[in-house]
Amino acid sequence: MHKLGRGSRDKVQQFMAITGASEKAALQALKASDWHLEGAFDVFYSQPQIAVANTRHLEELYNRYKEPDADMIMVEGISQLCNDLQVDPQDIVMLVISWHMKASTMCEFTRQEFIGGLQSIGVDSIEKLREKLPSLRAELKDDQKFREIYNFAFAWAREKGQKSLALETAIGMWRLLIAERNWSLIDHWCQFLQVRHNKAISRDTWTQLLEFVKTIDPQLTNYDEEGAWPYLIDEFVDYLKEKGLVQHRR
Amino acid sequence: MATHERKTIDLEQGWEFMQKGITKLKNILEGKPEPQFSSEDYMMLYTTIYNMCTQKPPHDYSQQLYEKYRESFEEYITSMVLPSLREKHDEFMLRELVKRWSNHKVMVRWLSRFFHYLDRYFISRRSLPPLREVGLSCFRDLVYQEIKGKVKSAVISLIDREREGEQIDRALLKNVLDIFVEIGLGTMECYENDFEDFLLKDTADYYSIKAQSWILEDSCPDYMLKAEECLKREKERVSHYLHSSSEQKLLEKVQHELLTQYASQLLEKEHSGCHALLRDDKVEDLSRMYRLFSRITRGLEPVSQIFKQHVTNEGTALVKQAEDAASNKKPEKKDMVGLQEQIFVRKIIELHDKYVAYVTECFQGHTLFHKALKEAFEVFCNKGVSGSSSAELLATFCDNILKKGGSEKLSDEAIEDTLEKVVRLLAYISDKDLFAEFYRKKLARRLLFDKSANDEHERSILTKLKQQCGGQFTSKMEGMVTDLTVARDHQTKFEEFISSHPELNPGIDLAVTVLTTGFWPSYKSFDINLPSEMVKCVEVFKEFYQTRTKHRKLTLIYSLGTCNISAKFEAKTIELIVTTYQAALLLLFNGADRLSYSEIVTQLNLSDDDVVRLLHSLSCAKYDILNKEPNNRSIAPNDVFEYNSKFTNKMRRIKIPLPPVDEKKKVVEDVDKDRRYAIDASIVRIMKSRKVLGHQQLVMECVEQLGRMFKPDFKAIKKRIEDLITRDYLERDKDNPNVYRYLA
Repeated sequence: MHKLGRGSRDKVQQFMAITGASEKAALQALKASDWHLEGAFDVFYSQPQIAVANTRHLEELYNRYKEPDADMIMVEGISQLCNDLQVDPQDIVMLVISWHMKASTMCEFTRQEFIGGLQSIGVDSIEKLREKLPSLRAELKDDQKFREIYNFAFAWAREKGQKSLALETAIGMWRLLIAERNWSLIDHWCQFLQVRHNKAISRDTWTQLLEFVKTIDPQLTNYDEEGAWPYLIDEFVDYLKEKGLVQHRR
Repeated sequence: MATHERKTIDLEQGWEFMQKGITKLKNILEGKPEPQFSSEDYMMLYTTIYNMCTQKPPHDYSQQLYEKYRESFEEYITSMVLPSLREKHDEFMLRELVKRWSNHKVMVRWLSRFFHYLDRYFISRRSLPPLREVGLSCFRDLVYQEIKGKVKSAVISLIDREREGEQIDRALLKNVLDIFVEIGLGTMECYENDFEDFLLKDTADYYSIKAQSWILEDSCPDYMLKAEECLKREKERVSHYLHSSSEQKLLEKVQHELLTQYASQLLEKEHSGCHALLRDDKVEDLSRMYRLFSRITRGLEPVSQIFKQHVTNEGTALVKQAEDAASNKKPEKKDMVGLQEQIFVRKIIELHDKYVAYVTECFQGHTLFHKALKEAFEVFCNKGVSGSSSAELLATFCDNILKKGGSEKLSDEAIEDTLEKVVRLLAYISDKDLFAEFYRKKLARRLLFDKSANDEHERSILTKLKQQCGGQFTSKMEGMVTDLTVARDHQTKFEEFISSHPELNPGIDLAVTVLTTGFWPSYKSFDINLPSEMVKCVEVFKEFYQTRTKHRKLTLIYSLGTCNISAKFEAKTIELIVTTYQAALLLLFNGADRLSYSEIVTQLNLSDDDVVRLLHSLSCAKYDILNKEPNNRSIAPNDVFEYNSKFTNKMRRIKIPLPPVDEKKKVVEDVDKDRRYAIDASIVRIMKSRKVLGHQQLVMECVEQLGRMFKPDFKAIKKRIEDLITRDYLERDKDNPNVYRYLA
């Protein structure tokens, strides 16, 4: 740091404050973009692997949690990890972490997912990860990221080899995710699914529900029954009307 | 030179001579005794003008003579014509006017001849109004302008008197109105502005007052009679004395006042309006209504609406009637489509006949009424009666006509006619696929059990259906009919085969109908354990079939078979006509006297439902070929059965019926499944060509594509779209979830 001029030093610090990257990563990104901050952000975010945390540390961490007889972190390892992070395994932040790891299945991390994920978060120890938790949690507030995490959750939570998501899991995931959105109809939705549907949830329904939650107000005044809402959502609207939970229009 | 020798005539002198001629003309016009103009007189007058116009200036008096010409008219008009017109009134004034006008025309003709030389040079060189025009315009400016108001009022009051039934002098009016036309000198302005406008206004007032009282006093038919009469009279009026260009305008006025203004009031008159006319079948009045209302803009729309409403009500009442009849029926017969429903279809056909006649006769086949009829029939034809859809009712109705011993006894022509009508009704039914499925089921029964009364009728209705619904609709049915012909041929060949290979003869007469699986409804085929005698038959046939073709798979549907078996009872031997299943069951008793229910089930290898049905038909129904323990009317798994050797009957041959399984549910399910495929195919077809399409548009196009066969439910389409998304045929657009993309 001392070799740098004042202006450059400020930029490095600014960069670190915004991205939360290490000094080394900041220097790399800034050098790569000829000391333009904006350019450096682009570089940094497009190649998260720049934020190379110490791979050796990550290997050690991985080995701490991995199954003794398989090259993979399974339920045991994950609950250990949660313990170390002092979070509940049901905490939504674990979903955010899994999203960063691009985990393909719930309760499982492969070596690649685990190490790649922590690298992209930019940490190489449990302590650092724990410190990161608030900012990871904050990512849920970002609309775009929330949508990605939400859509990620579908594939992540479904059973291997299945096209759709088991109803119970879906309801669990919705309760977890939609809680972030304060959707007043969530209880009715879950109840409706159990009473009327009682089948697995397709990806389309899953994706469209978020749209529904985001765009349609709870009184359904802007709901268009001619629209392309999935069948299940139409049925839900009928259910709400039938139960007198919302006013009929016209 | 002659001209030089000619003596110059000065104006005074020349005009004095002309004046004499003009006075003579006036006297003739006034009817005073005066000899006619001779050719010399005429020539002298003409020559005088000629001379006066051809003298060298300053003695060329052309200009002065042109003015004198006009003055002569003016003088005559002011001194003679106007006073005589002013002292007369009304009709007399009109007569005078006609007379004066014709005199004036004579005067113009003569004077313009005298002054003709002016026309040839002076006028044409200076482009002044020609003589004839000057003469006529004098009358227009002085006479017409002064009295046109009076004339117009007089004419209109005469017309009003005629409207009230008085006799008037039509020739007089004709002449007066001709003046209005002629005075325009080639334009219609005078006629239109000075007369026609007023006439139209007066007409409107006249009929407006009439209509106000008629609409209150008269019934709808009377009012229409009067209106039609008025229109006829006005039309005659035009042909008698008005200018033909007035016809359209005049009739429009009358129509407006009599019809447009009161259209809805008239149509909705409580006891005599359109509803009542339809109710009471007042064909003539309805035709009149059509004639009158077709004259006014958008006049037919409300009529067609009322017509549609009426037909809908009539039809709905029939549905209700059938519904009531069905609910009064005994509950055990509920599932059968019975006589009531036959009557219902008959009535619908009659209703259709009746109103088709209305459309073509009363309403002259106008498209609005065709549409109204169609929409009305679509409403109640798709209602269905007590759980049976209309598609099923129609199919059953056809079956009843086409099968042997159906409830309808009709001549060949009547059958053809009825079939034609049924097919026409089918156009109103949205679930055509459901009809096809039911029809195929019934057709299969008719063909396989030899119940079809007439092959020609079968083919004829298929031709009709093909015309109406397309070749795809009937291809399977046609295949079925053809299959049967081929099958007969097969059977003959099989019999020849048996006789040429006597060693293979199974000892039982066997007839097999070989059919093409794809054409026929699907039947369950169970691996029933056939009795050994039958197994042998089947093997022989299979062997025969092998010799005919190599690459076809033969599946035997035993559930459709029949057997004739001889049953030896103590009293006598009786031939039993039973189904293959029943026969298989009975033949078990060749090997054992008593069999328990469970033994029968295992030996036959059939489902419980089937075995119960079979046993019931043989032990609890009309004929008790088997004795049952305990001896009651239902089959239980612990029952034991025994051959009833005591059974006898006065007949030598009896048929033991096996009640058919209710197939309605299965048909509906099959159709539903086919529809899913059809919707899938349609969506993929559309998306394949459009690549990217909005939701509503996709749904619309899909409904349009499929509408010929059935009306797909929006929800069903939505479900199919979602299914296709799951199967990766489609995806939602990333930015707009209302738009789909085709994934190739």
